[in-house]
Amino acid sequence: MSTSDHGAHRKRSRAGLTTRVAAASAVVVAATAAVGFGAGSSFASAKATAHHRATASARSGRAKSHFLACEVTDTGGINDRSFNASAYQGLKVAAKAIPGLSYKYLQSNSTSEYAPNINTFIGEKCGIIITVGFDMAQATQTAAKAHPSQKFAIVDYSYSPAMKNVLGLVYHTNQDAFLGGYLAAAMSKSGKVGTFGGQDIPPVTIYMDGWVAGVRYYDKVNHAHVVALGWTPAKKRNFASGSFAGNGLFTNDFTNQALGKTDAQTLMAEGADVIFPVAGAVGLGAAAAVKQAGAGHYMEWVDTDGCVSAPQYCSLFITSVTKGIVASVSTAVEAAARGTFHGGNYNGTLANNGVSLSPFHTFAHKIPAKVKAALKTLKAKIIANKVSLDPNSYPAS
Amino acid sequence: MSTVDLTPVEGVELAPEGRLVSLGRVRGMGVFLAVLAVTTLVAFGFGVPSGEHAIFLLSGPPALNVSPLTMSVRWVAVALAIGCAALAALLLLRRSARGSYLIFSLGVVLFLWAFLAWAARGAALNLLQMLVGTLVYATPLVYGSLSGIMCERSGVVNIAIEGQFLAGAFLGAMIGSASGNLWLGVLAGAVAGGLFGALLAFLALRYGADQIIVGVVIVAFCTGLTNFLTEQVLTPDQSTLNSPQTFSPLAIPLLSKIPILGPVLFDQNVFLYGAAILLVMVHVALFKTRWGLRVRAVGEHPRAAETVGIHVLSVRYRNVILGGVIAGIGGASFTIGSIGEFSAGMTAGLGYVALAAMIFGRWRPFGALGAAVLFGFALSLQSYLAVLNVGIPSPFLSMAPYVITIAVVSGLVGRVRPPAADGVPYSRD
Repeated sequence: MSTSDHGAHRKRSRAGLTTRVAAASAVVVAATAAVGFGAGSSFASAKATAHHRATASARSGRAKSHFLACEVTDTGGINDRSFNASAYQGLKVAAKAIPGLSYKYLQSNSTSEYAPNINTFIGEKCGIIITVGFDMAQATQTAAKAHPSQKFAIVDYSYSPAMKNVLGLVYHTNQDAFLGGYLAAAMSKSGKVGTFGGQDIPPVTIYMDGWVAGVRYYDKVNHAHVVALGWTPAKKRNFASGSFAGNGLFTNDFTNQALGKTDAQTLMAEGADVIFPVAGAVGLGAAAAVKQAGAGHYMEWVDTDGCVSAPQYCSLFITSVTKGIVASVSTAVEAAARGTFHGGNYNGTLANNGVSLSPFHTFAHKIPAKVKAALKTLKAKIIANKVSLDPNSYPAS
Repeated sequence: MSTVDLTPVEGVELAPEGRLVSLGRVRGMGVFLAVLAVTTLVAFGFGVPSGEHAIFLLSGPPALNVSPLTMSVRWVAVALAIGCAALAALLLLRRSARGSYLIFSLGVVLFLWAFLAWAARGAALNLLQMLVGTLVYATPLVYGSLSGIMCERSGVVNIAIEGQFLAGAFLGAMIGSASGNLWLGVLAGAVAGGLFGALLAFLALRYGADQIIVGVVIVAFCTGLTNFLTEQVLTPDQSTLNSPQTFSPLAIPLLSKIPILGPVLFDQNVFLYGAAILLVMVHVALFKTRWGLRVRAVGEHPRAAETVGIHVLSVRYRNVILGGVIAGIGGASFTIGSIGEFSAGMTAGLGYVALAAMIFGRWRPFGALGAAVLFGFALSLQSYLAVLNVGIPSPFLSMAPYVITIAVVSGLVGRVRPPAADGVPYSRD
């Protein structure tokens, strides 16, 4: 029985193959249909959302001159409380300033979606395309070269030589991170503070580097011994030409908040009581860890004012080390809409308020007046270029 | 027509349950340990000035007053190298393979000890928290791989674990936040996972669709759906719909007071205890009960199972839905067990890592646990090494978890065999 049965089985499975393939394709078709209908695959969902936005703003009846501003997000997503969200906020600000300006975005769920998302927007005749993040530099450059009349602005990258149709927005965040590091060192009771990054790339490490420099400067000026964990600047590097090389703690991920949580726990286990995550949405994992660790553990938020973008954790934030993405993106979009757009590079600094420490919110009364005064003087010194921002200029504790 | 004789089926192993370790592999392990011993002696022993000390901190936050372990890096390394070499010799002289894995593991632990002492020279390493971190990383992976085991042992491939994670994380956060009851959140996560399990089962079993394709489609669907709903539903109403509390660590009386082991194992999140209980349950159910035998029979040879009166499709339906439920609970651990908020794509591909853990673990619960813990340990280790600044460049450190996993899998696990009917649609006629 068994032989005949096996034979029959084999025959049937061969005959069944066509049915199976048909069924499988049916499934895919059905799923794709569902995608079009409701939400669906990452890529299509973003498109559906974007359309929704566009029609919504068209319906609002302000469409006098048509100008469409488009944002391609990095993998952190539009709701990352950090640079993707800030750039989108910039579009909203521009839309308020300019009647008839509508905006939309596409979310990149993986790095492989950068180029297709940019191309989708080129096809949709966007007046300006904002690409968010250092990681998108290559995709943006390729698209900008292929479409010289398409205007772009990219957050966190500057091209050299500058391109005519791309505005690179870079922020000298080691300036305000220096202040943040000084403040963290001043607030630490354990004598250890810690930072970690989302990825070992310049727009992340520039924060960590400035922050560590601030801690070391605090030690030098106040004869203290606060140790900064999580980032060690390389001994031999060309700081003057913008190298922020070094070794440190990275999640290597801008979406996995669990990694942010455990990395913060690692830093606290090694004694740190002030944590500075430079990892966008992954920092929320760190906030969860700091909250769980309880009294005496604080943090500083990054990119945006944490008390505005993640208010549930406001009581943990001593301050936020921010960069003016909202203002610079909205300026770029408005310039493009008014026809005054120029490619090149924008540099955000403490002097032009392109980077800054946020208000202290719940810590306004907990930070000693002496420290606040010191921060003020320090800010003026940094603007006047009288303080070295290179951590290697100071001895490490 | 002869009647099918049941007895041999009862006695026969349906899957490669015993580890058939060849003596050649044992020799290989011996040589490897010998290399570790020499490395320990040279790099960690005499590569360090004799005065250097390392401290291992052993107390967690609820200080249990285990005094820190201070040791001289060089002499600890020398002692451990000798131990490692002895174990290597033991392996090389063995005539039977039985117990070799235990000896090998012991040798690796000695090596790791020496390595950590070297890494922490002149500083303090919080060993206890490093172990806690290992388990935190491993927990969702255990849920995911148990889900995979439930499905695949019955002959259905579940690539959709990642999607079920996302669905469970999303609904767990939303219901846990809206109702204010975390247990309802867990239930919601289980339901969400179970629903997508049911969808997989329906398409794969009713229509015989290709299970890999269906699984991939479900992941894509869940990713898109949760992204969409997060933006449209959760974000506008963040404070009520996406701000659940999280389960706080629950100390088990007495057990949590055991030095070192207590805080690591018995002062943890309910999701960790849940994973441990499920692990034992799935293991016992699969390998010690009549039910488990039937499931494995269906996964190995459904036609034979059918002929003895087992209803193949209902076994598969039940298992795939149960698998979905388990993955959904694991998904809920991402939000209400950890972060306290859902964000798009937060499971970050761990569903696939769980799938890999299941395969490395040879479709067995404790094997999968081993793989998950190994991966978790490597991640945790990487994080501590970065903070201790041992001088290894960050990109190499980031690679470490994957390199270690690949090395262990290729070196120790060897060839694995899935259940014979895994992924093959079944029809009665």
